[in-house]
Amino acid sequence: MVETADLVVVGGGIVGCSVVHQLARLLPNTTRIVLVDRGPIAGATSGSSMGHLMVTPDDAAAYALTIASVRLWRDLQQRRGGFHYQATGALYLADTDADVAMLPVLRDQFVARGDSAELLDARQLRDLEPGLAPDLQAATFYPGDAVVLPMLACGVMLREAQAACPGLVVRPDCAVLGFDRDGDRLAAVRTAQGTIATRTVVNATGVWAPDLAELLGQPRLPIFPRAGNLAITGHHGTPVRTQLLEVSYLRFAHGAAAVDPTRTDDRGGHAVNVQPQSNGSCLIGSTRQFRGMDRTLNRELLHRSLLRAQRYAPGLAAAPIVRTWVGLRPYAIDKQPLIGPWPPVPGLWIAAGHEGLGITLGPITGRLLAQQIAGVPCDVDPTPYLPARFCA
Amino acid sequence: MTDARVLDADVGVVGAGPAGMVASARLAAAGLSVVVLDEGQRAGGQIFRQLPGGAPHPARGAEPPSHARGDTLLAAFADRDVTLRRGATVWDARPGRLWFEQDGASWLLRCRRIVLAPGAYDRCVPFPGWTLPGVVTAGALQVMVRGFGVVPGQRALVAGSGPLLLPTVTALTGAGVEVVAALEASSRWRALRALGGVLGNGGRRREAAWYARRLLGAGVRLRWGWTVFACEGDGRVQRAVIGKVDRDGRPRRDTARTIEVDVVGAGFGLVPSIELGLRLGCAARFVAARGGHCLVVDGAQRTSVPEVLAAGEICGVGGAEVAMAEGDVVAGTILHELRGIAPPAAAGRRAAAERRAADRLLAAFAPLPGLHELATPATIVCRCEDVTLQQARDAAALHGTSARAIKLGCRAGMGPCQARICGPSLQALAAGRPDQPMDLPVVQLPVRPVTTATILAAPAG
Repeated sequence: MVETADLVVVGGGIVGCSVVHQLARLLPNTTRIVLVDRGPIAGATSGSSMGHLMVTPDDAAAYALTIASVRLWRDLQQRRGGFHYQATGALYLADTDADVAMLPVLRDQFVARGDSAELLDARQLRDLEPGLAPDLQAATFYPGDAVVLPMLACGVMLREAQAACPGLVVRPDCAVLGFDRDGDRLAAVRTAQGTIATRTVVNATGVWAPDLAELLGQPRLPIFPRAGNLAITGHHGTPVRTQLLEVSYLRFAHGAAAVDPTRTDDRGGHAVNVQPQSNGSCLIGSTRQFRGMDRTLNRELLHRSLLRAQRYAPGLAAAPIVRTWVGLRPYAIDKQPLIGPWPPVPGLWIAAGHEGLGITLGPITGRLLAQQIAGVPCDVDPTPYLPARFCA
Repeated sequence: MTDARVLDADVGVVGAGPAGMVASARLAAAGLSVVVLDEGQRAGGQIFRQLPGGAPHPARGAEPPSHARGDTLLAAFADRDVTLRRGATVWDARPGRLWFEQDGASWLLRCRRIVLAPGAYDRCVPFPGWTLPGVVTAGALQVMVRGFGVVPGQRALVAGSGPLLLPTVTALTGAGVEVVAALEASSRWRALRALGGVLGNGGRRREAAWYARRLLGAGVRLRWGWTVFACEGDGRVQRAVIGKVDRDGRPRRDTARTIEVDVVGAGFGLVPSIELGLRLGCAARFVAARGGHCLVVDGAQRTSVPEVLAAGEICGVGGAEVAMAEGDVVAGTILHELRGIAPPAAAGRRAAAERRAADRLLAAFAPLPGLHELATPATIVCRCEDVTLQQARDAAALHGTSARAIKLGCRAGMGPCQARICGPSLQALAAGRPDQPMDLPVVQLPVRPVTTATILAAPAG
């Protein structure tokens, strides 16, 4: 007998888990949802990421989206917890005159959005974080950022969803092999563990979203893997309590990439992100490089990120590194996530392409997609994120 | 800031235990330049452990006959022109290159051949109270007593499985500690299977007789088919609950009784330390009675990666005799490859015979799946990240039953030990599959924790 489902969500990362989480709360509790992933839940990008909940003030729409999502994260923390949520805030640091000049601009951007941020002088900075390099003269402190453990958060979302919607099935290690169509519409998903008849499929496969589109006979989505090298220290106490970011991070991470993501000779770049964890270890990032699906460590970029992290937090020099790894961010060509229906295939929805903001934007992405699927008004105008912008 | 330093040698050996010492002494005797890297401060490894600065051994009489061989070996090793790098942590490798940290400095050893002889570490089986202060592995007790002359307590319980319980007991009694109970989880009947491996081998026969006499002299009776169920105490271990186990190692709760102890050594065998081999890309296979995943080697002790050889416990737990014999084969292979000297066939035959005997012996002490029933849902399984068995089970139920999925779902194995302690039991416990091999661990840089400064100062290779 062929299994049937009202919806199949493909991808068990933070986006897929959040889609399921929000759907379970919006749809009737009799809805049968199957979440499949080729590997473990949170086994790819989400499990390799830093878990930074980052409010970006430089653009009104981006601010609205990130702040809405960070609020959903806070709600989940208050309601459930269990994913090491830490309200670390973010301390934006600068090392060049040009970047120092950016610090008040950044503060003003937060204030202009009706939010708050502080420009700290050298003494205030020392009071807040004695472990920082003594020559730093200024910084911008934004209290609204936080840190979570994404893989635990995926579990929390799925468990809450299962409680709300007993028909939810979570199936790790279950790769999608193909689809059956009924005319234009979707009819079934063929998986490594059998066929699931369904009229509705969500593509939440991040860097693999173009592959899944291709399996459906659709053009490849313009999403490209952007590699990041990360290191984590032992539990020896972090030199800082606040999350550190270079102010250049915003334009580096979210501004236009200086290189064409389809090129293979990208030498990559770096901006400091140092993240104290609840267990006394410290995550050190972040680097960005387009080089396909290659997940081998880039020693040169890792070294640069360690060196730069030490420059701001000298105590890190003596910190033992216990592990390094590489994650792949799903970079959408126009730097906006894809959240919504894919009109050429009725019943196909997409939630992918968040680059380095997938953890931040996970909850709001799930919510916007679930609201569109359920046909209820969206919390945030979804227009800029509709995948239809890439339909020929 | 550390300075970049580069060493060159014909052969780089990781580990100055029996395998590494035999191999390097022979290679040096033949005129090859050899650098040995060891995490300890003295040669000898775990088994031929030396006290600091040649201090007199408080329990010298408590060394079994095989250790005379160790003394000879240590003397020969000291005589040879072998460079021993003490306190060296190897944290990265590729064929012909070993990166290590020593005294805060970052070094690169360039060599024509790599010999991996890093040994093994204790297998931990979680039980309630195993993380209490005063409860340590059998190996740790031996390090304290035989490596540092530290007397860890007055009343000891030694529990676990395998031949290494015996030197743990004799080290303790030799240091004046009362061993209240010595518990071997394997049944006497299961152990009979090992008899062939003991009786057929003169060295092992003498060794067994020596231990039997020592235990008798100290009034310690080894109880077969018993183990530790739990440890209890206020801030540190004060009591242990012990009892019988069935043939699969399942605790028979009706036999539980409490004894008063102030130190517990738990040793459920050894796990080969294969991380460097995996980092180098060497093929591995799972052999339960040899401690789990081991490197695959051919009859000449060559791994699947050219110019990388391995000897001793990394090829499967087998003990010092196997390690020494395989170290000898390694030396023969390298001398053949680099100097064109035909390897003596006898060395290979002897190594194979020692390996067969060890396999027969250790088959009697292969990990018992039922011991995983000692842990309760509230028992910590990953002590780096404070993950309980219940959390690990929940993770396996939701995220998937692969080792990686469990790790992602609860953080077990993500801490400083990188699953060296919890890994061998975690998957069996969390996924409820005690009989199946665990997944091969994934090794990421650095292979051992080293400082940011060391990584940054690493000489390019």
